[in-house]
Amino acid sequence: MTLSTINITNRDHQIAKLSAIAVALSLIEFFFPSPIPGVKPGIANIIILYTIFKFDLNMGIWVSLIRVFVTSIILGSFLSPTFFLSLSGSLFSLIFLIAFRNLDRQNFSLISFSLIAALAHIFGQFIIVRIWIIPHNGVFYLLPIFLVSAFIFGLVNALVTNKLLKLNSKK
Amino acid sequence: MIKKILQFSKLIKSGDWFVIILFCILIIISAKTLWNLPQGKYLEIYKNNEILAIYSLNQQISKTINGIKGKTEIIINNGRVRFSSSPCSKKYCIHQGWISKTNQTIICIPNKISISIVGTKKTYDSINY
Repeated sequence: MTLSTINITNRDHQIAKLSAIAVALSLIEFFFPSPIPGVKPGIANIIILYTIFKFDLNMGIWVSLIRVFVTSIILGSFLSPTFFLSLSGSLFSLIFLIAFRNLDRQNFSLISFSLIAALAHIFGQFIIVRIWIIPHNGVFYLLPIFLVSAFIFGLVNALVTNKLLKLNSKK
Repeated sequence: MIKKILQFSKLIKSGDWFVIILFCILIIISAKTLWNLPQGKYLEIYKNNEILAIYSLNQQISKTINGIKGKTEIIINNGRVRFSSSPCSKKYCIHQGWISKTNQTIICIPNKISISIVGTKKTYDSINY
């Protein structure tokens, strides 16, 4: 038997800690009642944005995907439609963030990135809903409501992340 | 308060304004195109998922349809239509009220009757035949 050793770096510890916070925020959000069904603030994204800006995009991808999987396992929705909605939303956000990673940081702050990710998240979910869960064009009737919520919460999350980053850099 | 607003506006860079405005335009366009349904012209009545009849919406009549549980009555009133009586217990179909826009639908599941508004009359071509 060969003994395989995994070198745990400081980076892995960081990913684990940040993922844990993101999972905790997701769980809080799950138990918090939402006024409109389906509209959620997505407060776990604060941590993911924070990770991307404090560290790098690679780490953000890790934290985002770990959050999706771990949250679904804890809530018992692993491989259920909820899980796939969450996964496709996250994947789309990440794809868009990767596509726009070279945006000029002088002109584009994290507000832009947050809004782009929120928009991509909605599109990712709508594609899954349209193809699989409700295969009818009627679902697009709800798109404007979700776009407005994505806009508001994308902005709020960005501002909270900004505050967090500032607080952290002061130390 | 003014200081806070100034702080807030400093936070948003020029590129962010671009993204915010683009996002707002997207919301407005999607709301306008997706919520602005044209007025319907014809009414299709389905029984057991099979088309039973097509009526023009431009008239003032009431129709009685025999469903699985009993008689359902619908009223067409110059461009709009509603269920006025139904043998089902919950009466969701009646509570939905008037519909008038294209692709709007009222379904009564217990009686297996549904009505749907279409913009133009579907003509039966060789494939449908």
